[in-house]
Amino acid sequence: MNHRIRNKGTVSTVTLFLLALSCAFFQQQTMAQPINVGNNITMSITTGVAGGTLTSVVNTARTLTYRRQLAIAKITVSTSCPTQSFTLKVLATAVPDGIAAPEVTLVNGMPATDFIVNIPVRPPNTARSCTLRYTASATFSQGNSIEDGNDVHTVTYTILAQ
Amino acid sequence: MNHGKTGLLESQRLLGYIHRFLRHHFYRPITGLHKVLTFELLTLTVVLGGVAKGQTYGTDFHRVTVQVSQVTVIQVSSGTVSLSISGANAVAGQNAMTVTDLSTSFLWGINVSQRKVTARTNLAAPLFSLKVLAVNPTQGTAAPEVTLSTTAQDFLINIGKSSGTTQVQYTGVALASQGTGSDAHTVTFTVTVQ
Repeated sequence: MNHRIRNKGTVSTVTLFLLALSCAFFQQQTMAQPINVGNNITMSITTGVAGGTLTSVVNTARTLTYRRQLAIAKITVSTSCPTQSFTLKVLATAVPDGIAAPEVTLVNGMPATDFIVNIPVRPPNTARSCTLRYTASATFSQGNSIEDGNDVHTVTYTILAQ
Repeated sequence: MNHGKTGLLESQRLLGYIHRFLRHHFYRPITGLHKVLTFELLTLTVVLGGVAKGQTYGTDFHRVTVQVSQVTVIQVSSGTVSLSISGANAVAGQNAMTVTDLSTSFLWGINVSQRKVTARTNLAAPLFSLKVLAVNPTQGTAAPEVTLSTTAQDFLINIGKSSGTTQVQYTGVALASQGTGSDAHTVTFTVTVQ
């Protein structure tokens, strides 16, 4: 009887241990933000060349922060911009973990496209950051924002198992 | 594809540790306890395996706004054009003598709709006539040749939102009866609403 009680007590301890392990695991997955992009950006094209094109604008003010995961992972990018008129591209530069994919042209409704691939598994679980290099361009024939409105892209980054 | 299994392998390795721990502490089979432990192991397996198969770890977004101003840029390739009417331009029996120049190009870039280009001169009372014509424009339509005056006249129409070039043909006309002399024009091209 005592042996049974002792075993029950031990089992309860193990059960609690496993539950705590599960909770800790979930907490790590949810609390430590796996990916983060900075604040919103506005890019303005204001000049052009006669007989040529409008002058494109580059923005490198935002960083993408991400963490290694339990499996080798990658980050994809997609956008939603229902009334898109102009061209927007994005490239990951100074990538500490993983390999940057070629520059991605962001088109409304595009499927999620590889942005950073081959992100190694943890450890460490520390935050890693790369620079987001956005390039906005337009042709004269694409018009202007006063007549056609701004392009407002909701750019989504997702980290997932590769 | 091979990398996707790494998380699962880690899960299996962790489960192996737990199995060895349980085997060490619960060597004797006790059915009820085994049920509890099996349930826990299955839960943990689902948790760990699920993450590896569920694939998505996290997502975030921000908004990127691209705004394009109304841009109108024009350029004339040559700063100075000289037209000289000499005896070589004269035909016996005809009063008018003409000379033509095509050395100048006009370039533009306009992202605003319904625009045209006009031309005018600053010279209110020239001795001779100076005409202008757009030749072979890459976009839009050349207006008919006009004699320049201080009033802006159409040079290029229907250019819309575009970027392009055209040759500028200047023609100087002098009548024999007007004698000799020279005119110095400052020709101004303007983009305006059509």
